[in-house]
Amino acid sequence: MRPDDGLDPEQHAFLERLAAPLRTPVELSERVERTVLARLRADERPARGWPFRPLAAAAMAAGIAAAFAGGVLVGRRSAVPAAPDRGAHTVEFALRTAADSAVTLVGDFNDWDPRATPLHPGAGGVWTVTVPLRPGRYRYTFIVDGTRWRRDPAAPRALEDDFGTPTSVITVAQR
Amino acid sequence: MAIATSLLQVSPSDAELVQRVRQGDLDAYGLLMTRYRLRFGRYAYHLLGDESDAEEALQDAFTLAYRSLERCRHPERFAAWLFRILVNRCRTLATRRGRREARRAPIEAADAVGVAHPAERHMHHEEIHRGLARLVPEQREAFLLKYVEELSYEEMAELTGAGESALKMRVKRACERLRGLLGDPHAT
Repeated sequence: MRPDDGLDPEQHAFLERLAAPLRTPVELSERVERTVLARLRADERPARGWPFRPLAAAAMAAGIAAAFAGGVLVGRRSAVPAAPDRGAHTVEFALRTAADSAVTLVGDFNDWDPRATPLHPGAGGVWTVTVPLRPGRYRYTFIVDGTRWRRDPAAPRALEDDFGTPTSVITVAQR
Repeated sequence: MAIATSLLQVSPSDAELVQRVRQGDLDAYGLLMTRYRLRFGRYAYHLLGDESDAEEALQDAFTLAYRSLERCRHPERFAAWLFRILVNRCRTLATRRGRREARRAPIEAADAVGVAHPAERHMHHEEIHRGLARLVPEQREAFLLKYVEELSYEEMAELTGAGESALKMRVKRACERLRGLLGDPHAT
């Protein structure tokens, strides 16, 4: 490998020596696939695996109803189905928090990439961002100051919180 | 020759497997996962420094990828798409949990290092991992992507969303920190 990072040859040689033994393949257990397949098969049995939760069910129903009425309730804000992408709704996510530096949104719609969807600070400590979403069900959460995960307090909790992280869910209805 | 042909026939491409998964074939996804557990396990293990954390990162990445598969616009580039998800997931896990000080013993495959260069004997696996554990996650990520996964800075920028100059700086800082921590027997 040619040093193209401004390192001097000695530094480059040092990193090469360090990296060489790490290039050996690491074979993790095949329980990785087994666990994921079990998780996905459980997903394919929709109603059976979901315990009935009156509050969450009511909140989700309210969201769906709002979408049919012309907007989807998310966090403290509503959004309208005026989307650049045909079939997508424009959804505004909002979180009131005392963040020091940044709030980002991660979810099924952005590969849980903490850099993809930063929120913008507004008055009263409310951070917002607008995201186009096609009809469907999405899990999401906020990351405050790069480290703290915050579920959306105004949205239903994801019933299958399989990563052990506080996660909310939004259902965007068909128009 | 007959054997080679037979092997080729039972090794469908990523694009073919993705197509089968989209048609509801979950076993095809199992084949994809096996393929990339072997290929990407190394990155997750070295970044997180722990076998069970690495397994969790892979499980999460595979689950997220499956649920987002309709947005994989280039199935022939499934590997790159999946790796991006994994890198993001590892970064999140590393940030959330920090790196455990008390490390478990390295797993066998990682220990079975074919020491080709005599100089590598100065730097044991365990020692390297202890050094990596002291880096901030961004530096550890940059070092592993550049020197272990052997990506170009252009590829790293596409993968991480960071600029090339920032990535070069992270590698440089990682180098300085690691030399301070581990020492360099070859330094003049």
